[in-house]
Amino acid sequence: MGTFSRPLNHTDVGILGPRSNSARKYSRGKSINLVFRQCSVGILSGAVASIALTASLRYGLWSLLLGISIGVAYSITAPPGRRAYADNLMAAGALGIPLWGLISVVAIPLLSRQMPEWSAEQMRQHFPALVGWVVYGALLGIIKQGMDDIAEHFFGAHSPPETPAVSIKKRIVILGGGFAGMRTAECLERKLRGDFSTGITLVNETNALLFTPMLAEVAGSSLEPSHISTPLRTTLRRTEFIRGVVAEVDLGRRLVILRGDEATSGASARRHVPYDHLVFALGSTSNYLGMTNLEKFAFNFKTLLDAIRIRNRVIEMFERADRESDPNLRSALLTFVIAGGGFAGVEVAGALNDFAHGILADYPNLSSHDLNIILVHSRERILPELSESLATFAQEKMQSRGVSFRLSTRILDAHHGAVLLSDGKIQTHTLVWTAGSTPSPFLKSLPFEKDRRGALLVDGSLAVPGHPGLWAIGDCAAIIDAATGQPCPPTAQFALREAEVLADNILAQIRGRPSRTFHFNSLGALCVVGHQTACAELNVPFARRKTLRFSGLFAWLLWRGIYLAKLPGLERKIRVLMDWTIELFFPRDIVQTIDVS
Amino acid sequence: MAEMESATNVQFESAFRRPLRIEPFLGSALGTLGGLLLSAALRNELLSGALVGMAFGLAFGLFFARRAIGPGAGLICGLGSSFFLWLLLPGGFLTLCIRNPGLMLQHAQAHFSELVGYVLCLGMPVGLGLGLRGSLRTPRRNREFAWGRAIVAGGFAGTLGGFVFGRWISSGAYPLLAGFRELDSHSLTIFIHFAVALLIGVVFGILFHQDVRGYGPCMGWGLGFGIFWWFFGPLTVFPLLSKMPLDWSSEHGSALFGSLVGHILYGLILGVAYATVDKVWVRLFIQSDPLNREIEGPGVHILRSLGWGATAGLIGGLTSMPVMIATGVLPKVAGPDSNVVGLRAVLIHLCVSATIGMTYGLLFRNESAASGDAIAWGWLFGLIWWYLGPMTLLPLSLTGASDWTAKAASGLLPSLLGHLIYGAVTALTFFMFDYRYTRSLLLDPRFSARELRRLRPKESPAPALWLFALSLGVILPILLG
Repeated sequence: MGTFSRPLNHTDVGILGPRSNSARKYSRGKSINLVFRQCSVGILSGAVASIALTASLRYGLWSLLLGISIGVAYSITAPPGRRAYADNLMAAGALGIPLWGLISVVAIPLLSRQMPEWSAEQMRQHFPALVGWVVYGALLGIIKQGMDDIAEHFFGAHSPPETPAVSIKKRIVILGGGFAGMRTAECLERKLRGDFSTGITLVNETNALLFTPMLAEVAGSSLEPSHISTPLRTTLRRTEFIRGVVAEVDLGRRLVILRGDEATSGASARRHVPYDHLVFALGSTSNYLGMTNLEKFAFNFKTLLDAIRIRNRVIEMFERADRESDPNLRSALLTFVIAGGGFAGVEVAGALNDFAHGILADYPNLSSHDLNIILVHSRERILPELSESLATFAQEKMQSRGVSFRLSTRILDAHHGAVLLSDGKIQTHTLVWTAGSTPSPFLKSLPFEKDRRGALLVDGSLAVPGHPGLWAIGDCAAIIDAATGQPCPPTAQFALREAEVLADNILAQIRGRPSRTFHFNSLGALCVVGHQTACAELNVPFARRKTLRFSGLFAWLLWRGIYLAKLPGLERKIRVLMDWTIELFFPRDIVQTIDVS
Repeated sequence: MAEMESATNVQFESAFRRPLRIEPFLGSALGTLGGLLLSAALRNELLSGALVGMAFGLAFGLFFARRAIGPGAGLICGLGSSFFLWLLLPGGFLTLCIRNPGLMLQHAQAHFSELVGYVLCLGMPVGLGLGLRGSLRTPRRNREFAWGRAIVAGGFAGTLGGFVFGRWISSGAYPLLAGFRELDSHSLTIFIHFAVALLIGVVFGILFHQDVRGYGPCMGWGLGFGIFWWFFGPLTVFPLLSKMPLDWSSEHGSALFGSLVGHILYGLILGVAYATVDKVWVRLFIQSDPLNREIEGPGVHILRSLGWGATAGLIGGLTSMPVMIATGVLPKVAGPDSNVVGLRAVLIHLCVSATIGMTYGLLFRNESAASGDAIAWGWLFGLIWWYLGPMTLLPLSLTGASDWTAKAASGLLPSLLGHLIYGAVTALTFFMFDYRYTRSLLLDPRFSARELRRLRPKESPAPALWLFALSLGVILPILLG
């Protein structure tokens, strides 16, 4: 039963979405004819079936009118089927019971300015009406079906009005599947729910969104790598996803050209993706400040593979150190240097420290005296984004747990077995680089204005000036906060908000409405420094420069709670929660999954 | 998989449209035999019984046989149509047309034995017979029959239901084997109780394995099956086995009214247990296979259904609240001695409404392809909760004992309307949420195919269930009270 039926294929959905004007008129006309037809069937079948009501209710003409009204309602809500007499008899007969209750027991007494007659004795007195309603319903069902079959015979089968398939008129292409890119796609999907004339395409080098705040935990073997990545295909419903690398953007022909696969050769392997609106959300990469040796010997800390490599490197060093007899070499193997004292560096140092100390128990030949975790930072204090008190707390806590600090020190060079500092040298076989990032190198090929970092300059509405239909957000864009006039930091919370504004602005431009500027007050920052210890600085809303600071276990719980809530996908949340729970009872895994020798 | 489904659909459609040749004759024959049996049981003239039976069987064979695509579907259609026949003939509609409507209730009560007879002697054999014929004639569209799964799930569910129900009943004032003569041995009573429970469960599994799809429909089918077993067991088979005379009078039915409520609740427990075992079976052996992987996992569905269900239940609770207040039920939720509609009672009512709404979301999602279906399932849901709530759980929680007497049911009849309204509003609201979400899902063609697989197929005997269970669930308390 039910004209208000669920559409059962995506072409049916096109009926429900916006259409061209002529198609709209055509379908409106067809709908009116259908409703008229169903009303006519309902009137006739209700009138005939109301014989049962007249016999039971004995209200004469009112019974007839009631029967007709219900007949029309039933006919409109029950979609016509072919020869479904049994179904209609049973379903409409069952309908009689609640109708008896609602009308005979409740409505009619109320209309007569009496109380509803719903006591047991009164309901028994209404038993004849109950029988009458059931029989009315059954008759209504059979007669309505008969009328539908007759109508079909004379006027043709009832079918949903046909409309031409909706063609895509506008294409929005998003380059980059990080926080900014994926959020833009999600917002566009939500806002374009009923509009199928606008296509959305997302291009990314990997097929998943990496939840970078938890990357350090992967490096520290607290979390499984795939648990912090959310597949883009399952998250985005109506976005076409292409896993590929952008080779170039043809601004004249408005084409994105993707690099071909290595397995195939020739220009034909390259794919062209046309666009009307193009979003640059390409993110950033590590900045080695021109030091090629660093790039060669250091471990990056940007991608999931980087975190996996770091974890396996630690295990590899432990395995080698375990069979090494030379104490100096053993110490060098068990020395891990982290470059950069920002959030990423501090978190990975804390995670590696916990991991390395935790697995010492599995290597009886090794001692904690051989183990060194050293964080090298060019400034006087770590965590410049946080207040001094929190930064001091973090440093003291990490030092108490075994992390050493070399502050006001720069890394000058690296080679096999050692890292050269501005004030000395460290014997080490593992250097993790978190000391700088730069916008995606692809931006260098674009003929747009950029800032000194290499990020694309955009206006207040996040559009690339002078190039209609081009937009940029996230780490690869230099965005100025419209309210404060300050540059927006390249962080995930800003990227997410930029994406929401961008989606609005793209649609505003498509629909010819004014766009809005971007403004966002940072909510704060959180940083894990070690086992069950974190620093948190949260901005107080509407109070300029006032912050709430937390440290220790509470801040750590806050960190876990907030980031678990922000992790996309319920399944991922459950997996991460299970990893954290297992970590409470079992030691961290030391299985080597890849060879990083 | 899509090609296999398409081939099965074509096969089904061609079988469905094949003209009915044997069915009318088979139905007539079965109906005639049933009519003779009916006349013998009621000690009426054999010829009249045979004629009524033959007419019923012929009509069933002509108009309902296409829906009897299996023994379970046939049984439900048979029960629904035999009840409707009773309503037309002895039940009172003709009386309504010919005589004084004021005598109709007494007339219906006087002919209660015909109701039992029609259900057991006409509806059951004709429905089962043509259902068996239908199963040979028409391949099922969506589900293959699996004997092992049906018997294991049904047997386990029946035994579990018997265990839960037996412990509950044996601590109260109701006999464990209603309608059976009192046995000297308690152990023998328990044994027979469990044997019957197991049998009912296995029969439920075999008959309805291909029709029941989720917890909600399982409960609905369980409710209908429970009513049927009340007619079959305590009213018929047990007295015969006890060598007692058959008594299908309304007085005897009224005396066994508590057993009716018990059978309904047993049916609900059976339905839930069956659905649980069946879902575990499917999860372990079918859905775990990567080849059968669905696009969306169950976790997302469940959360979504819980959220929508809670909201829908809240709206249903608000809509039915005036009725609950007017019938005096609402104050009772605050305490047995409470007669005032205070904030506490309202808050408890809304919390309970939201929670029960969540159960609707879990139990009945994917059952409604249209708003009308949703309303019908909602009514059934409301009826289920009337038996579960005011008749059982509410007095149990407030006073420690349930009262399943006909008198108690009579006293609670006013709240039945409130429950039906609540069920319909909750179901319709849930359907609107689901409809809106499905529209966005269908952008992906894979989802439309999945939705087709998940929705109740149109050849389902659900309308027959609605008629039988909803009608008798409401009429029996009125008739026997």
